[in-house]
Amino acid sequence: MLLIHCPYCDETLPEPEFAYAGEAHIDRPADPQQLSDEEWRDFLFIRTNAKGPHYERWRHINGCARFFNAVRDTVSDKFLTTYKAGEARPDLAKLLEGQK
Amino acid sequence: MSAYRVESHGRIKHHQPVSFTFDGETVEGREGDTVASALLANGKHLMGRSFKYHRPRGAIAAGSEEPNALIGTTRSEGRFEPNTRATVQEIYPGLKTESQNSYPSLKYDIGAINDRLYMLFSAGFYYKTFMWPRSFWDKVYEPFIRRAAGLGVSPTVEDPDHYASRYLHCDILIVGAGPAGIAAALAAGKSGAKVLLADEGAEMGGSVLSEPGVNIDGCSAWNWLEARLDELRGMENVTLMTRTTAIGYYHQNMVGLCQKLTDHLTTLPEGAPRERLWRIRANQVILTQGALEKPLVFHENDRPGVMLAGSAQTYLNRYGVLVGRRPVVVTSHDSAWYAAFDLADAGAEVQAIVDLRDKVQSELSDEATKRGIRVLTSHTVTGTSGRLRIKSIRINPLRGSKAGRAETVNCDALLMSGGWTPSLHLFSHTKGTLRWEDDTKAYLPDQKAEACHIAGAGRGLWGIGKALTDGGEAGVAAATAAGFTTIAEAYPVENDREGTGISLRELPTDRSPGKAKAFIDFQNDVTAKDIRLAVSEGMHSIEHVKRYTTNGMATDQGKMSNMNGLNIAADALGKPQTEVGLTTFRPPYTPTTFGAFAGYHKGSHFEVTRKTPIDDWAEENGAAFEPVALWRRAWYFPKPGEDLHAAVARECRATRESLGIFDASTLGKIEVSGPDAVEFMNRMYTNPWTKLGVSRCRYGLLLGEDGYILDDGVIGRLSDDKFHVTTTTGGAARVLNMMEDYLQTEWPDLKVWLTSTTEQWATIALNGPNARNLLEPFVEGQDMSDEAFPHMSVSQCTVAGFPARLFRISFTGELGFEVNVPARYGRALWENLWEAGQQYDVCPYGTETMHVLRAEKGFIIVGQDTDGTVTPDDAGMSWAVGKKKTDFVGMRSLSRPDIAAPGRKQLVGLLTRDSKTVLDEGAQIVADPKQPKPMKMLGHVTSSYWSETLGRSVALAVVQGGRDRMGDSLYVPMPGKDVEVEVTGTVFYDPENARLKL
Amino acid sequence: MNTQPGIQAALANVTSAGPVLLAILPEATRFSLRINSGNLAAASKALGLSLPTTIGTRAASGTRSALCHGPDEWEILASEDDRADIEAAFAAIYLKAPHSLTDISDREITIVIEGDKAVELLSVGCPINLDRLAVGNGKRTVFDSAQVVIYRDARDSFRMQVWRSFLAHVWGLLNIANCELAAGY
Repeated sequence: MLLIHCPYCDETLPEPEFAYAGEAHIDRPADPQQLSDEEWRDFLFIRTNAKGPHYERWRHINGCARFFNAVRDTVSDKFLTTYKAGEARPDLAKLLEGQK
Repeated sequence: MSAYRVESHGRIKHHQPVSFTFDGETVEGREGDTVASALLANGKHLMGRSFKYHRPRGAIAAGSEEPNALIGTTRSEGRFEPNTRATVQEIYPGLKTESQNSYPSLKYDIGAINDRLYMLFSAGFYYKTFMWPRSFWDKVYEPFIRRAAGLGVSPTVEDPDHYASRYLHCDILIVGAGPAGIAAALAAGKSGAKVLLADEGAEMGGSVLSEPGVNIDGCSAWNWLEARLDELRGMENVTLMTRTTAIGYYHQNMVGLCQKLTDHLTTLPEGAPRERLWRIRANQVILTQGALEKPLVFHENDRPGVMLAGSAQTYLNRYGVLVGRRPVVVTSHDSAWYAAFDLADAGAEVQAIVDLRDKVQSELSDEATKRGIRVLTSHTVTGTSGRLRIKSIRINPLRGSKAGRAETVNCDALLMSGGWTPSLHLFSHTKGTLRWEDDTKAYLPDQKAEACHIAGAGRGLWGIGKALTDGGEAGVAAATAAGFTTIAEAYPVENDREGTGISLRELPTDRSPGKAKAFIDFQNDVTAKDIRLAVSEGMHSIEHVKRYTTNGMATDQGKMSNMNGLNIAADALGKPQTEVGLTTFRPPYTPTTFGAFAGYHKGSHFEVTRKTPIDDWAEENGAAFEPVALWRRAWYFPKPGEDLHAAVARECRATRESLGIFDASTLGKIEVSGPDAVEFMNRMYTNPWTKLGVSRCRYGLLLGEDGYILDDGVIGRLSDDKFHVTTTTGGAARVLNMMEDYLQTEWPDLKVWLTSTTEQWATIALNGPNARNLLEPFVEGQDMSDEAFPHMSVSQCTVAGFPARLFRISFTGELGFEVNVPARYGRALWENLWEAGQQYDVCPYGTETMHVLRAEKGFIIVGQDTDGTVTPDDAGMSWAVGKKKTDFVGMRSLSRPDIAAPGRKQLVGLLTRDSKTVLDEGAQIVADPKQPKPMKMLGHVTSSYWSETLGRSVALAVVQGGRDRMGDSLYVPMPGKDVEVEVTGTVFYDPENARLKL
Repeated sequence: MNTQPGIQAALANVTSAGPVLLAILPEATRFSLRINSGNLAAASKALGLSLPTTIGTRAASGTRSALCHGPDEWEILASEDDRADIEAAFAAIYLKAPHSLTDISDREITIVIEGDKAVELLSVGCPINLDRLAVGNGKRTVFDSAQVVIYRDARDSFRMQVWRSFLAHVWGLLNIANCELAAGY
């Protein structure tokens, strides 16, 4: 059972309060009708499947109910950071530096 | 008085006899004994049979690492447990115990024939023996394996005990209350930090309990221990837990503890759980688990009476038991010499101390000589004799690595020590890395993956003095890391026993190594020869060696066998141990009951059962229930003598002919509210919402972004800015989550908010020609005429005096209403309608009738008629897709090439040519049942019922190109026959919807 | 205490004989208020109390109180007869300060949990560290697998709101655990 920091509550809380919500920073296209079949396919189905740091979404579903973003290492299961939805993708090099 | 009991020794209550039984025979022990110590006190070493060869076995250890002495324990009816370690189970009056893996009796066991056939059962024998002929598998091999497999027997009746669980948060968790753990707890406790000290034993103290001769801080070890434990008990911020095993160490310092609460009690207190699983979240963890002694590997090292030297010392000093009166000690480590001295001082005639090493410290040999013990350094052991207990051993002098001429020495016990292995299982759970240290001949903790500290023998520091100092320092370090301040006290130790030793593979022997039964994994009967064979057969990874031989896969999880197995495998591979590596330790540390893991989740709490406000009424009125998502829903209401089909036929008739009443409270409900509500609805659902008038309803279809149907429901517009959305019962949470996702992350600019109101409302559906007649007198604030309140209307009014949201909708094809009232009034409204409905013979119906009535009308059930690959067009519901819309969730996918392509499976009706045959749901559909197998499947039956209304069966199905096959004959192969069906439209009843307009 | 037939029947099989007081509170008014932060002043004025902006904190005035659940979400509690007044006050600001005010009075049932072993009792199902839930605050979280809202009214006094359909499950667990405490375990 992981501990997860909710960037909205600013508290670190146990995993049962949270739900995983897939890869982060995949924006729904503003006008899907303008996309080619290939572009739409990529939006629907193509994901990073990272081994190591992974940008992903969580929802504090049994708390403040907000969706937020996280960088988690899929090998060690350690969170490098969490941040609010809509914020820019954090710089991985800096995050990894901070872990040392 | 038994010849093996020593009144002057032990921590047990010698004046408190306790009787229990072992294999039906009464055994007398003392309060404080374990089953093993009591049996040993009565001269019984034979406690079980091994798994594969059924060799007679005795306890080899005195703690939870015991691989041999597994017994069944019975307290009372239902309270039976197999595979209990006799070395851990405390005795109480009336306890019944039995040996395992033996028939007809422990002493004369038929399965022991396997021992003679051991050549057949070598490493990988499962893979080699049961390969072929293939036809033997079902009839011969599998029954054989099933009968032979498994340790002990499973309980046959339900466990009457209850199991508890709790979460606990602390600053510092200390695992293991030996000297290091206690010193750590004292230091950390004084800092004011919230400290939890847990130990798997019945008493705290660890090695101190087996070393009464040591002096600590100017007093005897046991007095020091009592005083320090008292000090800890006096600290409000410190919690002590005995009989509590740390079974697993998980992410971010979560540690699972299993606490045994009642297994040692004579009578069970009312309301007390048998065990409690603690989920501990600690800021800092200190692992002070000590070390485990390693057996020596030699021919016939498994005979009852052969035991770890340290365990023999424990049996003497904790339990007042001499495991033998004439023992021989064989060792490669100093510690066994101390055991020999303790036993000799307690009256045993130690026959010899055999040490594999060339020389030992002179203090040891002097002490032995002083006690008249024969010392044989540079000697090895090459065999033992004795049927059910050791009688003698073969001792050979060593010349280099060669064994010389054997001498036979008589004995009644053999105490062995191959040195000590730090207990690092929990540390390994965290993926902490280990490093080999040649000085201590042990793997020690290296890189940490969690905020933990390891102290004492767990990192190769032998002796109580070092453990105390190291534990104190760990306590300070942990407290400091958790934000507290403290200092460690110094506890000077006298008469400490530190000792050193060497680590060996199989002992040198003068016999053919190919015939040696030198056991490594005692429980699984893995020998040194098996390991070498595995390597020679190509198993070069230690993980492969483990699985091929089953070494380390016994219930002791390799506590006894891992290091010896590794040493031998490394030798066979010609590599240093460090290059071979260790197998992975996985939780649980010791076998843990299913009860502890299940906790409260059994019986009525097995999982959450959600109940509607009308559930009680249904139960009182004899409903049969079915689970739907987490809910239990009334399935049908049988009258005496009725089965499902009879009840459903009656409920269908009653509803179509007059009036049915149905609890629809489980439907998901979402309030969509705000100035942008209609824009949001347009974006989410396939349907257009802008022109839907206030007080009007529309059937809404929700897709995933992939274009497949995800959910549906009727949606009412309460005002310009407010919608009452309903979802399927199972989809409620999923749909709300999906909507929130879009709103929060894609369209945060929309001024609209979502609130789950599923449980705010109780929902009662009335269907049938008399629905309005019943309802109208109860309604205030709404003209109920067809003109004022037509089909697909919603009104906020009062019903029976309760505030209500009243819908005129129908999922049955009959005139229908759904009344939503605040949940607290649900049952009262139901009873009002029930009473008044008697004049119309109102009939309560359940989910089965609901399913039949909607199928007759061709209304789909998402998740039954759709399966996540059905588009609106596939379902024949293109009418629900707004033609002028430019975007909604899933719209782009509807023009993906494979979704727009012809030949997709489409929802159609099926009518069997024989009207009485009801198709099986899920049955496949083919064009020609005579075609060769495998046949080409065209689709499958999604819904199938007996329609009482139509006097025949009806079915819905998805069929390739189904809408182009209207009137065609297809076939549904079912058991024993191929059923011919006609492809039809999906609406079987009242296609003109005349009955809605009553 | 509660007189609803449904609730009584659901709980009839379970008697609480432990050191912790367990009781069901009668229904009162409960709203879910959703409003953007820019319009907080108007909402506070309508409600007659200053809406707290830190998640998990509460503000109260008379019998009305508001607990902040999220950046745009508050749970408003009030007396049973206050419902219409609150609705009217918010309706009056809707055009200027759009929001959603949804009646959820009947969605959850409130359980009182009181006694010096109350925290221990809650720890059978609550994974959070209750030491960090300050007196006067509240929090949405989980108990066993049910979503709940826990209010801490005093060191040893809690109110736990649980969705109505989960009540029997949660109530049953609390009572089993209370019996464990009664037995000294």
